[in-house]
Amino acid sequence: MSLDVVSSVQSPPVKKKRWGADKIYSNLSYLLMVLPGVVWLFLFSYLPMPGIIMAFKTYKLSRPPADYFIQNRFVYSLITSPWVGLDNFEYLTLPTNIDSTLTYVRNTIFYNLLFMIVGLVLSVMLAVMIFELTNHLLAKIYHSIFFLPFFISWIVVAYVVYALGSSAGIINSVADSLGLGSIELYKEKIYWPFIFVIANIWKYTGNGSILYLATITGIGRELYEAAAVDGAGKWKQFTNITLPHLMPVIVLLQILAVGRILGSDFDMFYTLPNGAALVKDATYTLDVFVYSMLRSATPLGYPAAAAFLQSAFGFVLILVTNAIVRKIRPEMALF
Amino acid sequence: MTVKTEAPSVGNIFAKKKSRVGRDVLAITPATNLALNLLLAFSCILTLIPVYVIVISSITSEASLAANGYRLWPEEFSGMAYRFLFSQGSIVMTAYKNTVISTLAGTVLSVVMVGLYAYPLSRDNFKFGTFFTFFAFFTMLFNGGLVSYYMVTRQVLLLQNTLWALFLPSAFSPFWVIVMRTFYKMNVPSEIIEAARIDGAGEWRTFLQIVVPLSVPGLATVALFSAIGIWNNFFNCLILVDDAQYYSLQFTIYTTLNNIRFLLENADKMQGLVNVSELPSQTFRMAMAVVTVGPIILAYPFFQRFFIKGLTIGAIKG
Repeated sequence: MSLDVVSSVQSPPVKKKRWGADKIYSNLSYLLMVLPGVVWLFLFSYLPMPGIIMAFKTYKLSRPPADYFIQNRFVYSLITSPWVGLDNFEYLTLPTNIDSTLTYVRNTIFYNLLFMIVGLVLSVMLAVMIFELTNHLLAKIYHSIFFLPFFISWIVVAYVVYALGSSAGIINSVADSLGLGSIELYKEKIYWPFIFVIANIWKYTGNGSILYLATITGIGRELYEAAAVDGAGKWKQFTNITLPHLMPVIVLLQILAVGRILGSDFDMFYTLPNGAALVKDATYTLDVFVYSMLRSATPLGYPAAAAFLQSAFGFVLILVTNAIVRKIRPEMALF
Repeated sequence: MTVKTEAPSVGNIFAKKKSRVGRDVLAITPATNLALNLLLAFSCILTLIPVYVIVISSITSEASLAANGYRLWPEEFSGMAYRFLFSQGSIVMTAYKNTVISTLAGTVLSVVMVGLYAYPLSRDNFKFGTFFTFFAFFTMLFNGGLVSYYMVTRQVLLLQNTLWALFLPSAFSPFWVIVMRTFYKMNVPSEIIEAARIDGAGEWRTFLQIVVPLSVPGLATVALFSAIGIWNNFFNCLILVDDAQYYSLQFTIYTTLNNIRFLLENADKMQGLVNVSELPSQTFRMAMAVVTVGPIILAYPFFQRFFIKGLTIGAIKG
C-alpha cells in the first residue's frame, strides 16, 4: 500500500490561475465530502488525545460548579485534577510492581517480534509456493482455505483452544489413551507462547500473503526467463528478483509493525487464556495490563501512565524507523 | 513511498502468464509440484481442524461428550443443541439481533464515510488534499491511549450502554481511506471525471454516477472488511457496554465460556453452591460458536471475487 501522504497530493505545477467560481464550487463539494470522516476522526481519535495528560495527574472525579464553562464531569475533573509529575510512572516501578511491569513489557515486545518474523517468513513462503504451483485451480482453493481463519473471531478461537486443551479436551484424551500425563492448559504458562504463535500463524498467514502474492504476480516474466537462461536456479531467482521486488512492501509493513511494538492484538491475548489468572505472566501484554488496571479499583493515573508509554514510544519508534529507512533507501520511507 | 509494480492481472492473481518462449523454462518439475501440493494440502487440513472441532462437537450428543470428552469423531450425533439454541428467545437471540443491526449500520456508514473521504484526496484539484490526508494518517501513528479513549467515549460521547457503542467506534478507518484513495487514482481516469464536469455534471453527480460505479470492487472490499470487523468485534462491547440488553454476539459467547470454565474448575470449592449439571450444555456452547461463524462463511465466496481485486489494486499500485 502506498502511503505517499505528502508528495502525491500536490497539484500539478501549472501556472497559478485565479480561483474561479467553478474551482470554489469543486473545493466546497470536496470539503462537504470529507466532512463526515473529519467529524468521526475528531470525536474518536483527536478528542481522546489531550486526555493523555492524565498520566501526569491524580485524576479525581468532581462535579463542575454551575457557572463553569464546561459542564462535563470528565473534562472538568481532567482540567482541575492536580499535577503530580512522574508519580504515576513511579508506581509502575515500585519494588512490588517492577517485576510484573517488566514481565508485561517483555511479553509485549517478545510476542510482537516473534509475530513479525514468523509472519513475514511464512507469508512470503506461502505466496511463493502458491505462485509456483502449476495448477491454478488448486492454488485458488488452497489460498481460499488459508485466508478463511482471518474471518473467524478470536472468541471462537478461544472455544477451539478450550475444546482442544481443557481437561476434557481432545489433546488430553489422546494423552490419556497414550498413558501420558494430563495437560493443565489454564494453570501452566509454558504452553502459552506456543498457543499464541500457532494461533497467530493460523489467523494471519493467508491474509498476509495476499499483498506479496499480488506483487510477485506483477513482476515481469522476462526477468525470470533471462535469469533462467543465464543458469540461475529457483533460489537464485528468489533472492535476486523476487525479494528485491517484495522489499518495498516488506519495509512498509515492518515500519508500521514497529510502531505497534508496545501494542498488541488485545482480543487474542485477552480471550484465549479466558481470564486464567495463573498464566498471567505468559499471557499479559501491556494492553491487557492497562485494561485490567482500568477495570480494577486502581487510580486511573496508573493505567494512564502505562498507556502514555505505549503511545509515546510507538510514535517515537515509528519516526526513528522511518528516518533510518529514509536515510538508507529514501524511496521506501513511509513519509 | 511509491511501490513500483506492474498491474497484477486484475482479479486473478492466481493465473500465470504464458511464456512466449516455446518451452516453459520457469515451470517447476512435476516432482517439486507434487511435493508442494502435498505440503499445501496438508497445511490446509491443519488450518481447517479448529473449524472442524467446533462443528463436530456442536453436533455431538451431550451424553457422549460428557462420557468421552471432546473427540474428533463422536460416538453419537445429535442436533439437540441447535434446536435448543433457536427455540429460546434468550441472551443469544438478543445478542444476535444487536450484532446484525450494528453490522448493517456500521458497514453502510463506513462505506459512505470512507468512500466520500477518500475521493477528494485522490483529486488533484482539491486544495486541502495534503492536509486532510495527514489529518487521517496521523491517527494511525499516534493516539490518546486506552484510558483516555475509555473516558471520552463513555463520559463525553456518552456511548456507554447504547447500541451505537457496538458500531460507531469502528465505522471509519484511516487505513481504508488510504487504500481507497489509491484505488480511485488507479481505476478512475481523471479524463472521465473532467469530461463529466465539462458536460455539466456537478461534483456530487460525477461522484455518484461515474466514480462509484467504477469503484465497486474497492468499495466492496471496504464493506466486507468493516462488516467482518464489526461482526467479530469484541472490544467495543467490552469497553462500553455493561448492560446485557446491548451485548454483542462475540461478547455474549465469550462471557458464557468464561463463566463456565471458572465454575467447572472451581466446582470442588463451590460444592453445594453450583450444580454443574445445570450449566448450559457443552454442545450448546459449541453450537453458539458455530452460529457465530456461520454467516461469515456464507458471505465469504461472494465477496472473495471482489476483495482480491480491491485489495491488490488499492494496496499495491501507487
